[in-house]
Amino acid sequence: MKKVLIGVLILLMTGLTLVGCGGSGGSKDTGGAPKTGPAGQVVVAQGVDATTMDPAMHAETPTGNIQRNIFDSLIFRNKDMKLEPGLALSWKALDDRHWEIVLRQGVKFHDGTPLTAKDVKFTLDRIINPDQKSPRRSNLEAIDKVEIVDDYKLTVTTKAPYPILPGRLADELIVPADYVKKVGDAEFAKNPIGTGPYKFIKWVKDDQVVLEANTNYWKGAPTIKTVIFRPIPETSTRIAELQTGAVDIIVNVPPDQVKTLESGTNTRVSTAPSSRVIFIGFVANKGGPLANAKVRQAINYAVDVDSIIKNILLGNGYRVASPLTKAHFGYDPDVKPYTFDPGKAKELLKEAGYPNGVELTMDSPNGRYLMDKEIAEAVVGQLAQVGIKVKLNVLEWGVYVKKIMAKELTGMYLLGWGNSTFDADGTLYPLLRTGQRFSYYENPKLDKLLDEARSTIDEQKRLADYHEAVKIINQDAAWLFLHQQRDIYGASKRIEWEARPDELLWLYDAKLK
Amino acid sequence: METMKDLVGEPTLGMAGPVSEPGALWRRGWRNLRRNKAALLGLVILAGVVLTALLASHLAPADPNHQELALRLLPPAWATGGKATHSLGTDQLGRDILSRIIYGSRISLLVGVTTVAVAGALGTFLGLLSGYYGGWVDDVIMRLADIQLAFPFVLLALAVMAVLGPGLKNIIIVLGITGWVEYGRVVRAEVLSLRSRDFVEAARAIGDRDAVILGRHVLPNVATSLIVIATLQMGRMIISESALTFLGLGIEPTIPTWGGMLNDGRNYMNNQWWVSTFPGLALLLTVLASNLVGDWLRDTLDPTLKE
Amino acid sequence: MPFGHGRPPVWIPYSRGKERLLLKRYLWRRFGHSILVILGVSAVVFFVIHLTGDPAALLLPMDASPEEVARFREAMGFNDPLYLQYWYFLKKALVGNFGLSLRHQQPALAMVVERMPATLELTLGALLVALLVAVPLGVASASRRYSLVDNLGSTLGLLGQSMPVYWQGIMLILIFSVSLRWLPAAGRGGLDHLVLPAVTLGTYSAATIMRLLRSGLLEVLKQDYVRTARSKGLSERVVVYKHALRNALLPVLTVVGLQFGSLLGGAVITETVFAWPGVGRLIFQAINNRDFPLVQAAVFILALIIVTVNFLTDILYTYLDPRVRYS
Repeated sequence: MKKVLIGVLILLMTGLTLVGCGGSGGSKDTGGAPKTGPAGQVVVAQGVDATTMDPAMHAETPTGNIQRNIFDSLIFRNKDMKLEPGLALSWKALDDRHWEIVLRQGVKFHDGTPLTAKDVKFTLDRIINPDQKSPRRSNLEAIDKVEIVDDYKLTVTTKAPYPILPGRLADELIVPADYVKKVGDAEFAKNPIGTGPYKFIKWVKDDQVVLEANTNYWKGAPTIKTVIFRPIPETSTRIAELQTGAVDIIVNVPPDQVKTLESGTNTRVSTAPSSRVIFIGFVANKGGPLANAKVRQAINYAVDVDSIIKNILLGNGYRVASPLTKAHFGYDPDVKPYTFDPGKAKELLKEAGYPNGVELTMDSPNGRYLMDKEIAEAVVGQLAQVGIKVKLNVLEWGVYVKKIMAKELTGMYLLGWGNSTFDADGTLYPLLRTGQRFSYYENPKLDKLLDEARSTIDEQKRLADYHEAVKIINQDAAWLFLHQQRDIYGASKRIEWEARPDELLWLYDAKLK
Repeated sequence: METMKDLVGEPTLGMAGPVSEPGALWRRGWRNLRRNKAALLGLVILAGVVLTALLASHLAPADPNHQELALRLLPPAWATGGKATHSLGTDQLGRDILSRIIYGSRISLLVGVTTVAVAGALGTFLGLLSGYYGGWVDDVIMRLADIQLAFPFVLLALAVMAVLGPGLKNIIIVLGITGWVEYGRVVRAEVLSLRSRDFVEAARAIGDRDAVILGRHVLPNVATSLIVIATLQMGRMIISESALTFLGLGIEPTIPTWGGMLNDGRNYMNNQWWVSTFPGLALLLTVLASNLVGDWLRDTLDPTLKE
Repeated sequence: MPFGHGRPPVWIPYSRGKERLLLKRYLWRRFGHSILVILGVSAVVFFVIHLTGDPAALLLPMDASPEEVARFREAMGFNDPLYLQYWYFLKKALVGNFGLSLRHQQPALAMVVERMPATLELTLGALLVALLVAVPLGVASASRRYSLVDNLGSTLGLLGQSMPVYWQGIMLILIFSVSLRWLPAAGRGGLDHLVLPAVTLGTYSAATIMRLLRSGLLEVLKQDYVRTARSKGLSERVVVYKHALRNALLPVLTVVGLQFGSLLGGAVITETVFAWPGVGRLIFQAINNRDFPLVQAAVFILALIIVTVNFLTDILYTYLDPRVRYS
């Protein structure tokens, strides 16, 4: 029997070594390159892996973060989220529905083919084409057609006046027409080439994506030679990897770990105000207590948002008075948040006809946003103090989204909303316009303002409409307004790199010390 | 998948004949218990947990759901920065950990006991049918068991949550469904061996109905196996509840459970060790105790194991 | 614990021809059952996962208009009646085509197969850890029942079954990666990367195997033939290792077979904690994304492996324990 046992063990060991060989070897060659060109290696850890290397075929931030280093967009956003030239030198509205885009010359894809208007048209048409089944199609739905004027000039025609087109274009990465046509979608999704600062080297699924500096980049070669993106789902593990030096940048650091990383000898923290606003929505269009504006206002008075930001987020959030942040077009600084006033809350409840309090339900995701479940629990605890009894359900994200969109929610729901166009339309329309995907609120006056603002390119008119809209939303307490999130990243002290408000992990500017 | 043994239908835990005489059983149990100090400890711990659960409202120093955000993540009383009022410290929302552990014992016990009951009832019923009737009934039930074993647990949990909604009751359903196979197989195997034994044959000969035979003659004889599996499974179920929470499919966060607390604490393990350590210890001790008692029961009830 | 009997090593005589016939019939029956089970699992998975959510909702950007979502659903065929969708799926799946993953637009089956080496590496590693710990400890505690070794071993075994996997995993990372800097915390690479996940995943199996082995050995040790061996003056070592262990290992073998299956599919939490690029994590993500084809393919492959391993275990069992009859 002993022999059999030993045999089994040997078998297992051989098996192990065999599979072990198939694995990716450690990738730890730091430095070594001559001082002149790009040198060194940086490892970035996000929570999930890329799903594809084809920019047209996904709508996810982590995947986009990797692709942003391989591809460029026509229009860039700078650190302050202002638009600036990228592959496009300039863009302007010719009239209500026509835009002219002029391309930068001398830009080359990684295989040496020059970038021309044909690539831009190909990229946009590909996303819009229904047969491509691109999940991004909705971003460019407004586009009617894209026409090539010459090699470096295009006109984009929209179906209706569409003021936020430049913001939309800033999100689309330009792919090489000839290469994609030659190798086909499936191959392109595995072996992409772009115009970006980094070239794609290899992708071991769920393990790592390896990129290497593009020395011919049109902005000049990046300083770091190799960039590796690794998916590490568990937060504690990401932090451990940063602490041990295996990783240089990590995303989604919980507020309570900030002190640890800041006091570490090799680690630090970088934060940026996110475009994401966290709120608790009310199902206001199905009758019941929440259909009553007084109850909604009472809830806003009953919750001590400042204390939540201070104690749970440890300051990593900014109080908001409306769905918009300072960075959004349409933001109105005159609209002020509700004060914390439990007495007033009780009074309002009494006026609304609920002197003995109300019973409600609340749904929340867990781990989707910074401390989301904890915030939901804290809100429930504070509402209990004024006699509002809330039953909290934590739902898995897929189930949650399904419930929201099937309009199955009742009561309150915690949600976060990032808006990459930084325009009020991208937040207010889907979330508060009657009948939209995420809207549980109905207000004809608001609908009129939102419809009007999205169909004119007159900036003054739009701004006035949005200011008016935001006032209504605040006064009618369409939501329990919470905060704008501050994204927290962990970074190694050996790298110079700062977080951005759009969650982008752009390694071109990064330097090793 | 079925094993050869399933097909052959050997008795599995040795209780092949009619139930042993009770006096002997008690004596053997006591003898084992005196020799097996660990089992004694297990019994004491379990008794303690049950008492805690029953007397939670008297024992807990504070309301388990009372939050004080300003006092969040306080260390235990004896550590620097600790407060005497929160002897085991506070959690991420400033709730008293000791009180939550005390109240949490209720849910954890409830989950442990009810899931095992659901799984046991389902498994026994299907196992009895399968073993007694054999043929296609047996085939269908055993294939069902095989399918269940190859089915991803997470998906089952998600499906129940999507269709029935989240919550304690549905968690119990999920865990109950996943646990039946073990009972089903054991009961079936035992029934197969009992079916041809004299006392069952005799009952059949005098015309007892199937239900009577199963209930009066077969069930008592498989009871010991069931008890043993149940005690051993209970610990696993309590842990599974915690795993479900980890996967984002747990019980309402406002209900204190050890699994939930442990999971909440996993982001604080490097700095605020107390958030996860104390509920973890409570869980560990309880599972340990139920396993120890399970082992002892097995040694006692299974005569083939006596020295 | 449906195992653990004294099995005297006695050959029950059979006529060879009859035995072979029975064996053949048995194998065919088992084969048929296996096919049924795989079909059954995939059917149940298909209908259950459609209950849990809408991939379109998760795939498109949050701000997509309702019209766009409806159009996308139509284009992907999600609006067909479920039985029709199943029929389309089955027709293709029977020839090995599970379709493209909704998220990745890559062939679903290939994506699963691609991750098999990592999963096998982890599973084998865990089993190795489990056996290396469980066999010596099990033998030691059975041969000296109620001794210090036994108590220590039993306690360790019980502890191994009393810790949630994720908690143990994070604890190991904090101790061995962060504090001691001995081992890497995450990812796949050389053998050093395998140690922590394999230990984490193997602990539960180690505990199960150890406890099973102990009770199995205890039973065997009091059988007549062991007594005979002892009375012949053989040393305890020889008795235990040569005579008792062989018989006690039989039920263990079955459990190792079963464990192999559950380790393969049950590594979700371990793979998540250690960022291990295996099938468990893939299937978990696919379920979270409601990536129907990918879930189908992964469940199919896992079911296939589990069924095959059980089948092989049974055959091995028959081979090692000639007492088993084919009915």
